[in-house]
Amino acid sequence: MLCSMHKWLISRAVDSKKQIPAFTKRHLGRCDSCRKFTQLCGSLKQRFAHDTTAILKGYNKAIDQKIISALPEIKESRSTLSRQGVGPNLFSKRTFLVPSLVAASLVLVISISILFLTLPRSSEVNSLANMSDLFKRAYPVRILEKAESPLEKEYTELKETIESTAKFLISRLDVRLGR
Amino acid sequence: MDKDTILKDLSDEELAADTAAGSCSSFEELISRYSPRLFYFLRHRTASDQNVEDLIQETFLKAFRNIDRFDPKRNFSTWLYTIAARQAVSLYRANKAKKPSLVPMASSQDPQEIVIQKQESQNLWILAKKLSRKEYKTLWLYYAEDMPIKNIAEIMKKKKVTVRVLLHRARINLAKKLDKSVYSESFAGENSAEHKFSFSEIGEI
Ligand SMILES: [Zn+2]
Repeated sequence: MLCSMHKWLISRAVDSKKQIPAFTKRHLGRCDSCRKFTQLCGSLKQRFAHDTTAILKGYNKAIDQKIISALPEIKESRSTLSRQGVGPNLFSKRTFLVPSLVAASLVLVISISILFLTLPRSSEVNSLANMSDLFKRAYPVRILEKAESPLEKEYTELKETIESTAKFLISRLDVRLGR
Repeated sequence: MDKDTILKDLSDEELAADTAAGSCSSFEELISRYSPRLFYFLRHRTASDQNVEDLIQETFLKAFRNIDRFDPKRNFSTWLYTIAARQAVSLYRANKAKKPSLVPMASSQDPQEIVIQKQESQNLWILAKKLSRKEYKTLWLYYAEDMPIKNIAEIMKKKKVTVRVLLHRARINLAKKLDKSVYSESFAGENSAEHKFSFSEIGEI
């Protein structure tokens, strides 16, 4: 049971490119099976990359020709549908939505430019200073500082680890109940 | 610069947009990029080579027919693999209904096939084919396609946590197959079955 949980945390560390939790690291010191699993997980990316290149070389391209020969017929039926006005091309997102979005963005940019040009510079500086003041009053400890503090980071990581392990254990419990 | 070189320089999404604009040669380039990858994605031990070839053909033709619906801002490989996965599910269900038609692919006695099988036997993907279909496909998308979990979840119609569990399960079972003696010890007390977890939410794919 414990090994299962540690192996899950090892897998999770590989997928999220994060560090293996400290208590799993301690377990690795005394568990051969988990240590071997960690080594395997670490080597899989490279091994599969190598073996993917090797296996793709053996593919028989004959099937491609069969598909390619069927394309003109489908293309013809697609263009017939378009000519009849029922094809997806006529009212597709690209032909309908994109020009409208471009026009809307253009109007927005022009409006903002007019506003920007008509406002006096001093008021702009003042309003920015006011906003910065307001922000300082609202958030006495800067959000970035808070996010970067080691304690906060450790707390977040621990919370994620516990959540993930709980999800894994719940899934297992689910199976046993379902059987 | 010739036409083929230009096509090879284009991204999948640009080629898809060109196809939507009427270029068949752009789609041919996409076929040459993706058919080998789709072939091995779909080539599980429970599917015959003929089934896999039919699936690839159906996938590309469906993609070509619906290329207008593809949004070039999205990832083309996720879109194409989603179509392939849906086609595979339909075929699997149809085959399940007919039962005896699920032909294991290793039955061929063709000498050339035997040579290929010998060359391939050292390949990790051959070992991975012995895993469950869902585990194999998750491994393929994660390691061969280098896809993020989020995209794999989209293709396989699963939650992200389910994909993570499938990946984990695949690694555990692969480890067991790679080194039976070491791994069988650590699992003997837990569960002797090949796939010890089976989540109700992990459906067929
Ligand atoms: Zn252990």
